[in-house]
Amino acid sequence: MDRNEIVKAVNSIFVERFELEESELTPEKNIIEDLQLDSLDLVDMIVGLQQKFGIMLRDNPEIRNVRTLNDVYDLFEKLAKEHPEIAEKIR
Amino acid sequence: MEKRRAVVTGIGVVSPLGNSVEELYRGVADNRSGIRAMTEWRGEFGRDLAGAPVVLDPAAVKKISRKVRRTMGNAALFAGLAAQEAVEQSGLDPALFTSGRVGCVIGSTVGSASSMTEACVADYEGRRNDLSACHFFRLMSHSSSFNVADMFGINGPQLATNSACASGLQALGTALELIQLGKVDAVLAGGSDESTPLVAASFQLLYALAEEESPEPDKLSRPFDADRTGLVCGEGAGVLVVEELEHAKRRGAPILFEIAGYATNCSGWHVSHSDELQIANCMKAALADAGIAPEKVDYVSAHATGTRVGDAAEAAAIRAVFGGETPVSSLKGHLGHTLGASGALELAAVAGMMRDGVVLPTRNLERVEDCAGILLPREVREGKLRVCIKNSIAFGGVNTALVCRSID
Repeated sequence: MDRNEIVKAVNSIFVERFELEESELTPEKNIIEDLQLDSLDLVDMIVGLQQKFGIMLRDNPEIRNVRTLNDVYDLFEKLAKEHPEIAEKIR
Repeated sequence: MEKRRAVVTGIGVVSPLGNSVEELYRGVADNRSGIRAMTEWRGEFGRDLAGAPVVLDPAAVKKISRKVRRTMGNAALFAGLAAQEAVEQSGLDPALFTSGRVGCVIGSTVGSASSMTEACVADYEGRRNDLSACHFFRLMSHSSSFNVADMFGINGPQLATNSACASGLQALGTALELIQLGKVDAVLAGGSDESTPLVAASFQLLYALAEEESPEPDKLSRPFDADRTGLVCGEGAGVLVVEELEHAKRRGAPILFEIAGYATNCSGWHVSHSDELQIANCMKAALADAGIAPEKVDYVSAHATGTRVGDAAEAAAIRAVFGGETPVSSLKGHLGHTLGASGALELAAVAGMMRDGVVLPTRNLERVEDCAGILLPREVREGKLRVCIKNSIAFGGVNTALVCRSID
């Protein structure tokens, strides 16, 4: 699973759930300050990522440390290496 | 101390006959029905039950900001759209909403019946972790009220008068009392509810639903008619801007009518059986609250949903209070039973009747038998309506009556 696939899958959640334009979703964007997600949205981001990648995240401390979209992409690049089944799930 | 007076300066609806007061009123005046065969429920019931669904315009829904909309089930969406129309007509200054002097009181039977079902299904299927963080906010009992408050930035009192089919009318009565007490100057008040297979099945279980399959589903809701077989489930919302009279006058607001009196009581003995004595007592108490004698009432907008027992009990109560000379009609033949929305939603049509000086008759009423002895016009009846009374009767033994008076 390459980074492009991860970026596409993560961004789709932000487009579908938070009604953001794809063009806004550049890697450096801060999820709270730039994309205006609040606490409820952050929970829904986790719910969306769990559904999309088929992996539980709620209790993963690393998801709580993400600040930018790039942080999310990095986290899933790492998770995809640890859990190769993720690639099948999003395909 | 003289009571402060409350008037209605704006009305909005989402209804089975359309999502504006004008569409609703025109539909009722043209004797049309919002009831159709619910083909989408065939899988649930094995046949096409009648229902009176709302059709939402996705573009109108999308105009509500995502951060408010995300916590709205359909009932709250209905209430939000109705509130927009009411506020627009009223012309309330948006700055007032954040003054602490405006309240929001909207009731429903269930915060969102469809969201409740979705949560139960997710739980049963072991998918609790798939539920949105917003899901619980959609089904909470006061979902319509706090979502509408959020939509407008209202930071005064927020209440939800959740008394099933009396919810909307209790909200309007509560608005009146908040204004009389001087706690607020204006309130967005009303009711909302959704119709789902589970809601219809709840009435079906009690033999209270018109559950036969018919080539003419719009004929199945027959309030006061000898051949009535039960209610038809509808949905929607009615929200009114209730405002202190002098406040409304000062800003030159449109004054549609005065809410002159209100009462609510309960039977205290049975949760589902209508109690004609307590219905009569409720209407008498509302009239006493308004200081208006029964003979001064020009029209009774009945609750009458088309159930065998409920309609007969209400007719007997109306007969006991008003005799047989005051015109009475029910709008459930046009709209089905819009549940917690019905009291506020039907008041939108009553306001049109007061404006136009007409009593619109009960749709599908052909033969009166056990509901005899009250005046049930079969045709449009012209004449000035100075005072009207609106009834709502609900499971839980709850009765509610609101007295509306024209302001000349």
